Amino acid sequence: MNLAAKTRSILVRAKRFLGIDTLRTKYAYANDPRFGHISESRVADSWVKTTCGYCSVGCGMLIGVKDGKAVAARGNPDHPVNRGKLCPKGLSEHHMLTAPGRATTPLLRKDGVLTPVSWEEAITTMVTRITSIQARHGRGALGVVGTGQLLTEETYTLGKLVQLGFGTSNNDGNTTLCMASAVSGYKLSFGSDGPPGSYEDIETADVILLIGANIADNHPILCERLQRNGRFAQHRTLIVADPRVTKTAMMADIHLPVKPRSDIALLNGIAHILIRDGLIDRAYIDAHTEGFAEFAAFVATFTPEHTSRITGLGVDRIEHVAHLYGNAKAAFIGWTMGVNHSTQGAVTVTAINNLALITGNIGRTGASPFSITGQCNAMGTRETGFTASLPGYRKFENAEDRQALADIWNIDVGRIPTQRGKAYPDIIEAAVTGSIKALWFVATNPAVSFPNYDLLEFAFKNLEFLVVQDGFHPTPTTALADLVLPAAIWGEKEGTYTNSERRISKVNKVVVPPGEARADFDIFLSIAEALGLREELYPGWTTTRDAYKEWQRVSSGRACDYSSISWEQVEREGGVQWGGDRLYTDGRFAFDNGRARLHAVPCEPFAEQPDKEYNFILNTGRTVEHWHTRTKTGAIAMLNGMVPNAWLEMNPIDAAQLKLRSHDRVTVISRRNRVAQVELRITGIVAPGQVFMPFHFPEANSNLVTLGAFDPISREPNFKQCAVRVEKSVSP
Amino acid sequence: MPLPLHDRAIDGSSFDLVRLSLLESGAPARVVDALIPERALEPGEQYRFHFDMTKCIGCRSCEIACNEQNGNPYDINWRRVGELEGGAYPDTLRHYLSMGCNHCLDADCVKGCPVEAYIKDPITGIVVHSADACIGCQYCVWNCPYSVPQFNAERGVVGKCDMCKGRLAEGLEPACVNACPEHAIEIEIVSKAAWKADFTAADSPGMPAARHTISTTRITLPPAVAGGELERVDSGQIRAEHPHWSLVFMTTMVQAAVGALVVMLLVHATDTVSLTLLALVTAVALNISVFHLGRPAYAWRALKMWRRSWLSREVLLFGLFFLSIGICTAASWAQTLDLFHGIHVVLLSGWTASIFGVLGTIASAYIYLVPARPSWNMIHTPLDFLLSASLMGVILAPVLDEAAARLEHLAPRDFAHTPIHYSTWPVVVISALWLINQIIRLLRLRGSSLFESRASFALMRGPLLRPAVISSFAFVLLSSVVILTGVWTLGLACAFIAILSARYLFFVSVVPLSMGLSFLRQRHA
Repeated sequence: MNLAAKTRSILVRAKRFLGIDTLRTKYAYANDPRFGHISESRVADSWVKTTCGYCSVGCGMLIGVKDGKAVAARGNPDHPVNRGKLCPKGLSEHHMLTAPGRATTPLLRKDGVLTPVSWEEAITTMVTRITSIQARHGRGALGVVGTGQLLTEETYTLGKLVQLGFGTSNNDGNTTLCMASAVSGYKLSFGSDGPPGSYEDIETADVILLIGANIADNHPILCERLQRNGRFAQHRTLIVADPRVTKTAMMADIHLPVKPRSDIALLNGIAHILIRDGLIDRAYIDAHTEGFAEFAAFVATFTPEHTSRITGLGVDRIEHVAHLYGNAKAAFIGWTMGVNHSTQGAVTVTAINNLALITGNIGRTGASPFSITGQCNAMGTRETGFTASLPGYRKFENAEDRQALADIWNIDVGRIPTQRGKAYPDIIEAAVTGSIKALWFVATNPAVSFPNYDLLEFAFKNLEFLVVQDGFHPTPTTALADLVLPAAIWGEKEGTYTNSERRISKVNKVVVPPGEARADFDIFLSIAEALGLREELYPGWTTTRDAYKEWQRVSSGRACDYSSISWEQVEREGGVQWGGDRLYTDGRFAFDNGRARLHAVPCEPFAEQPDKEYNFILNTGRTVEHWHTRTKTGAIAMLNGMVPNAWLEMNPIDAAQLKLRSHDRVTVISRRNRVAQVELRITGIVAPGQVFMPFHFPEANSNLVTLGAFDPISREPNFKQCAVRVEKSVSP
Repeated sequence: MPLPLHDRAIDGSSFDLVRLSLLESGAPARVVDALIPERALEPGEQYRFHFDMTKCIGCRSCEIACNEQNGNPYDINWRRVGELEGGAYPDTLRHYLSMGCNHCLDADCVKGCPVEAYIKDPITGIVVHSADACIGCQYCVWNCPYSVPQFNAERGVVGKCDMCKGRLAEGLEPACVNACPEHAIEIEIVSKAAWKADFTAADSPGMPAARHTISTTRITLPPAVAGGELERVDSGQIRAEHPHWSLVFMTTMVQAAVGALVVMLLVHATDTVSLTLLALVTAVALNISVFHLGRPAYAWRALKMWRRSWLSREVLLFGLFFLSIGICTAASWAQTLDLFHGIHVVLLSGWTASIFGVLGTIASAYIYLVPARPSWNMIHTPLDFLLSASLMGVILAPVLDEAAARLEHLAPRDFAHTPIHYSTWPVVVISALWLINQIIRLLRLRGSSLFESRASFALMRGPLLRPAVISSFAFVLLSSVVILTGVWTLGLACAFIAILSARYLFFVSVVPLSMGLSFLRQRHA
């Protein structure tokens, strides 16, 4: 530094120290032409319309850009989903585009150290090593785990690359950790995936039952719908079934503090009362369902007394709730992870669907069973995914479906597998047993999000090659990778997401990705190129729009029919719902005979019951300030400052017994591992005998202790209950 | 103030702003529920927040929106969300408080501010803070029972919620009102007289009593909560406050100077060198105090509000103290150098200085007598300041005398110094009184009905602060013992350490009144 600059810098510092300079310009206000008086730092030159990249509510937003930088986030006032409102994550989402910790260059492990390499070297190495492993161990030795974070166009592209390019069917997504049970349940009941209702139904239903859905923390913008309902409806009863007194439970007219995993009994018990008291829609059952007689006979055993014993709810309460539901003009049942995160998740969904079917509460305004999805584009992966099914809700087992795709893709039908490959937990298990030698994770962080971390670590150690493609580095998963591919994130690419209510929404590019990071779409194309298959798989493609156009053809005539929905229309209308406002309005379901199926669902106790040694039931979940494994929200100072660390909720009765005090650091111990130094919160939110901790924190990873038990149908993990004990941590 | 938002919302021309209205499905657009007033204020009225606890779901969108609106760093939150809990599982109650500034009718931040950085806007009633006028003394932070004003160290000034008056002026809702997905926050008009007569709707669990400053925020409580079953969840973890080292040293040193001057005048020991040393001590102390400010260059502004701010009065009185002691010293020098003969000038200015000094010490103590800081707001604060001044005075005066004697040996001139014999009993007596005052204060804190006072005691009992408590008590005893053996200088050092420790404790152990916050708190680096 020269003398003049040095003097200037000393002068500046002196002025700051003496308070002559109070950073007036930094803290100045100005007038944003669109949004009015605001901090000058948030005044934008232009606003980019887009859709939020966190959860699947699918809020429309406007991102303000100034000098090529994202400076502000606003809810889009004209968007039908959120009408201008956003949750704290959305309101600070522009900070993510300038957040620290981004992956900016491809990294290849050389002599044990992740070393920056060129894209060319990265892609060539990836393709060479994977094809060599496949040559030695078979095509299926590659497992791929995608994500609900990608664009629909990208998921579609990835599916073709993995199944047709690499030729492995061991392709799944992190969506198996969240929505797989809903998918399976819908398929079992209705013959196809697809949430039947709309958010609007929350506004118009007169009875709303939320099961295992803490929307106030996880989908806060949906809460506005409840409030709007309360304003105009004559009667609107909100019933929330949750073992924990969640923020959502506090909003309820009736909170049902059910015992963990007794939801099936509750649903069967309600069905019992409905049938007993004639509160069912006989005409609907006769015309549109099958299996009623068997179902009625099955739930006959779920007398209110029996149900009361299992759920811990009073008989009167169960009767009251059943009558509310049965007498409703339009009843809505919403659920999320409390139901899905279970070894009985898929069948619990069918138990929910049963209630809707026997009362005819489906396909009408306000009446629907409705899964509230997790990730921003989990729905897009379900529609386009080449994972649990073929793109466009087609079945691997169906020859016509395979032929149709082969015709569109102009390939030999023999290249399309006739059954699904391994699901996510089975891919990990195959890595443990050694039949899978290479793994490729795209935009997901299993080192934090997968249950029973020890097993995952074992699987990783067994691998010959681990590729992790992510927007951030280091994450607990990229740190373990042999190859890190730096990807663009939300706000850096263009395409579509589908939200919980089947609304296709446009996502736009706000800024360019940092460093050498590339859009996932471009990465997939480069890999196809290196495989020598780009022209075959992606003829003439250069942008995600090309992928969308092909996807429109693939989805044409299917339930999720995009063929008449253009990007421009989606952009203009603030999203378009495929299938219209709601599905099954004509009572015709996707089975061959057009009838929905009623299922007899036994209520089994959850797998790992507490005992003397592990005397607590550990429940896991989220908090409104954070998103999943915090790679994003942990990098946003404001959100991370609000909730900087994990905590464990424990009832005062248990805390007194263990002589623990609030803010003590405790260790949560299961049969598998332990999590130390968790801040204890003594609270009446949780029942005695139960503890709760958030799963967001790598530093206090709940998945060190969670159980690797999976739904036999959906393969979704049972994150919600396992047996643990709690001890005071020794000082670090 | 025009409020065109309503009209713009109705005619649909407001693409830019979030609709205030909730539209019935199918019905033509109409405003159902405006979240800011639809008419202009009339005389005797002001704006206020209304917070509906029954609607708030604790999503904290308002906090983010506020920080985005004002460009604040993540750890400065002009709007904060707190959590309240009550009852037992499964009948547990959880509710949230979302609070910005309460724009009080009788705002202590306004009254205490030495530079008139605060004004209560005569039209809107909004308590407005000016960053330009502010000198960063943080007295408002101490005065506000809700801990609303927050010091921004990067800027050197305080900042606070101004109800987004810039947005209101444009007919837009404040950022928090705009962001709330549940419409739990709105702006209303309140008649000041009517509210003064009955402000029960301002009180809520988790909020300090509204009567201190007559908070204008109206809070709608859920019906089940009116009984007061809810409690704040943030009380399990009390953090030590900022030590304000410059104030620890400044108060201790100035009090020592005031005490010593009084003692010297009483025993007729106002020799030139002692006075010079005393003037030096005062000069150093007052200079140190300036660095407590976020904006030291503007310290002089603190004189402005002497009519109502104890901080202004302290600055004024200590300023006059310094001036008088300066005159006194100068006169003494003039006398010594035979330039001017007038022992009466020395004595007159000396006594004037001591009066300003004692009054300054009392004014200084009054700064801390604020309801928002219960462990300061006790008679023990002025007693401590006066006793500390006395204790330091009776020890410092003989030490100065000794120092003067030594220095004068080196001097070429005859300073006519007559050594004075100082007795030791005042040291012992004042030490005892000082200790008794401290102990009674501690006992009263322990037995207080106020949570914040008990929390102060708990902090001092805790592992973090107990060493300072022990050190202050031990060193004051040690000082007496040492002085009884005749080593005044060492005694002074011990007393100085004792009082510094006690003063440090005074600052760090205070637990301010505040709204209930969240269970988890951010950790500052």
